[in-house]
Amino acid sequence: MIRAHRAPTPSLALFDGRLYDPLDSDPRRSNVTSPFEGVKVVEFAGMVSGPYCGKLLADLGADVVKIEEPPHGDPARQRGPFPDDTPDPERSGLFLYLNANKRSLALDLTKPDGREAFARFIDWADVLIDNHSPDVLDSLGLDWETLHKRNPSLCLVSITPCGRTGPRAGCRGTDMTGYHAGGLGTLLPPRSSDVSRPPVKAGGYPTGYHAGLTAAFAAAAAIFGRRPGGGCLLDVSEQESVVSLIRGFLAQSVHQRVTWSRVPDRPPAFGRMECSDGYVVSHVVEDHHWRGLVELMGNPDWAAGDEWNDYPYRYGHMFQIGHKIDEWARRQKKEDFHHKGAAKGFAVGSVYNAEEVLSSRQLQAREYFVEVDHPRAGKLRHAGWPYKMSVSPPQVRRPAPLLGQHSEEVLREVLGCSESDYRKLRRSGAVWKEATS
Amino acid sequence: MSRRPVPGSLPLEGVRVVDMTWVWAGPFAGMLLAMMGAEVIKVESRDRLDFFRRYVIWPLADAAPTELSTDGSMMFLSANMSKLGITLNLGKPEGKDLLKRLVAVSDVVVENMRPGAMARMGFGYDDLCRVNPAVIMLSSSARGATGPESQYAGYAAINHAIGGGAYITGYPDGPPGHTLGDVDLMNATTAAFAIVAALRYRDLTGEGQFIDYSQSEGVTSLLGEVLLEYQMTGRIPGRKGNGDDFMAPHSVYACWGVDHWLAIAVETDDEFAALCEVMEMPELAIDSRFGGAAARKRNEAALDKIITGWTRRQDRDYAANRLCAAGVAAAPSRDAQDVFRDPHLRERGVFVEVEHPEGGANDLMGLPYKMSGGDPVVRRAPRLGEHNDYVFGDVLGLSTREIARLRREGVIG
Repeated sequence: MIRAHRAPTPSLALFDGRLYDPLDSDPRRSNVTSPFEGVKVVEFAGMVSGPYCGKLLADLGADVVKIEEPPHGDPARQRGPFPDDTPDPERSGLFLYLNANKRSLALDLTKPDGREAFARFIDWADVLIDNHSPDVLDSLGLDWETLHKRNPSLCLVSITPCGRTGPRAGCRGTDMTGYHAGGLGTLLPPRSSDVSRPPVKAGGYPTGYHAGLTAAFAAAAAIFGRRPGGGCLLDVSEQESVVSLIRGFLAQSVHQRVTWSRVPDRPPAFGRMECSDGYVVSHVVEDHHWRGLVELMGNPDWAAGDEWNDYPYRYGHMFQIGHKIDEWARRQKKEDFHHKGAAKGFAVGSVYNAEEVLSSRQLQAREYFVEVDHPRAGKLRHAGWPYKMSVSPPQVRRPAPLLGQHSEEVLREVLGCSESDYRKLRRSGAVWKEATS
Repeated sequence: MSRRPVPGSLPLEGVRVVDMTWVWAGPFAGMLLAMMGAEVIKVESRDRLDFFRRYVIWPLADAAPTELSTDGSMMFLSANMSKLGITLNLGKPEGKDLLKRLVAVSDVVVENMRPGAMARMGFGYDDLCRVNPAVIMLSSSARGATGPESQYAGYAAINHAIGGGAYITGYPDGPPGHTLGDVDLMNATTAAFAIVAALRYRDLTGEGQFIDYSQSEGVTSLLGEVLLEYQMTGRIPGRKGNGDDFMAPHSVYACWGVDHWLAIAVETDDEFAALCEVMEMPELAIDSRFGGAAARKRNEAALDKIITGWTRRQDRDYAANRLCAAGVAAAPSRDAQDVFRDPHLRERGVFVEVEHPEGGANDLMGLPYKMSGGDPVVRRAPRLGEHNDYVFGDVLGLSTREIARLRREGVIG
């Protein structure tokens, strides 16, 4: 599956020779099974954004070598969740999900040999994913100009909180600050007119995931359109990847002066409704949706007038009957509302928690989940992919790596390290391998 | 179609996309492809206008307009930039035939109708393969094209609920919250990624394929660790507001004024010391209650109270800038107008100016990243049927007379 490149001469002394094997020399090959097969990626990234970008490429066949700094490696290893809440860097759920299909190389970048090996891996790569502040690569002597000169075909995917230019270029950010910086926080909670309580972020790591997704699209396009010597810098800002998601609200806000979150004016049949055992979210817009809801409610007198069949009228007058719809909803079970509403042709869905998502009949029928067997964490069901590709589906070929698990393998394979070179690197502490205990 | 990269071109130049999407989750995928250089042709019908062509947001100078065009909606313009637009009556056999001729000379077809709708019109993947065996088709729907719920309707907020996102969003003591159209745009980005991957695969092998895209699965795929938490601990992950399991302070604090909020997140002791210095409370940095991340998390409530006491008296943006300069992760919780005016985004050229069809220049959000070596294609979204002559004439080779006849007969709208 992974096309290993073997260097002609296994010697560290030859570190300055190019090990680059342009795929373009043979564009059509019948043995290819994945879109990004043969694409060499070095991932120098932690937490969510960079690793998710790497995962999206790896799941579709890219050879992703993840460079981790010992002794802790990717900070996601410390984040959990952990089985039985017992911290263990090899069993962190966040790390396990985001890093399946990758190989881990643990390099100590404070050591000269470690830095040299790092630079050699970048020479080999088609894509370098970096989500550190740009100072980090700069301090290793690997600023973009130098990288471009060393490897003119390299695509550098740089993911930072606010981008590499502009007044806030060097600013720190986290998932939460990025979400608010980009304008999505003020939309939550929905229908929240209580200005004494703060706006909130969506659950999970929405900023990191979306920045990773944005970076993966840009990187995939760059890979697809790449030309020898045509390397490029993709400057991905987490803030802007969030701003991209409010592009409609920008248009509304600027031209209608509406800030959606802080007004309680959404018609009640548009949004969250409380049921006897949980919540549903519905979105009744078109008139036939409305008629479906009225039928489901048993055609009550208060919704009988023809005027309600008109969207602008409903929008303007919903407060007259909204509380009656809510009263009806509170007597329903959420799954009844969900499935019966769907049968009536309007858009409604239950608010599912993790357990309910994992037992969803729809996801099971679509074989969405992927069982991954990890040597330390055991068998777990991972979220799959929203795209079912008929010919070249994404797949998990190997579980997330232990810290430095593939150090020796990739040093030999990519840099052509000999046994004695490898031992030398290990002795100097430049290269780590996972503890075998 | 075979495609050869041209030096100096954008990555997707030479790729032609037939875009049959509408509303929000579909169109933005085509827009991303178009901005990266693909020729994206939006196929529309005058009888069944894109919802957002009808959506009332027009930047008109006239405060009481008497007429609204189908071309001026800012929502439409925001998600259909850089495309070409044609109008075709697919109810007529000749209209269907023209669409197939267009597919025959294209690389990608993307649509977001209810599963099965394309096949009923005669444009299922199998039908399209007959005219173009290497075509890539992506069908995006609420729950995917297969399974017992494939026919369920859905919009962004519902996909967020079904996918597991809404349940974990909101105040810990409040009901679940759902997001809105952002989920659609996220799904559009994912779909665009899958399309480019399929293009790359076709470059390598010559083979096209069908991509069945589920928007609610798009939500779940961004919650990998949430599903693992349940499996690893037996606990159902709940709502945490702005909070974090490890970091404190990690919240959104009230500033001077009404509804002005500042997000602050501190991970390390150095960052905490920097925060204390900006707050002019150096004694806090050596307070044993707040020494180390674990202690800060344990005493988070006390810490939040102290910080709120400070932020209450601060101008939000001034405080954010001072904290950023000191190395603390901080950001105003911006609403759309704040985002639109953000000098940092302005300096980075994040907003692109496009001419509005009814006059006047408008700034719209462009690509969410910067790319060296080539500027993205920036063109205002097409008027209804704006590029009929180009597409039917230059691309399909119909004569002017033929196009005139098709117009007369209502095949081309």
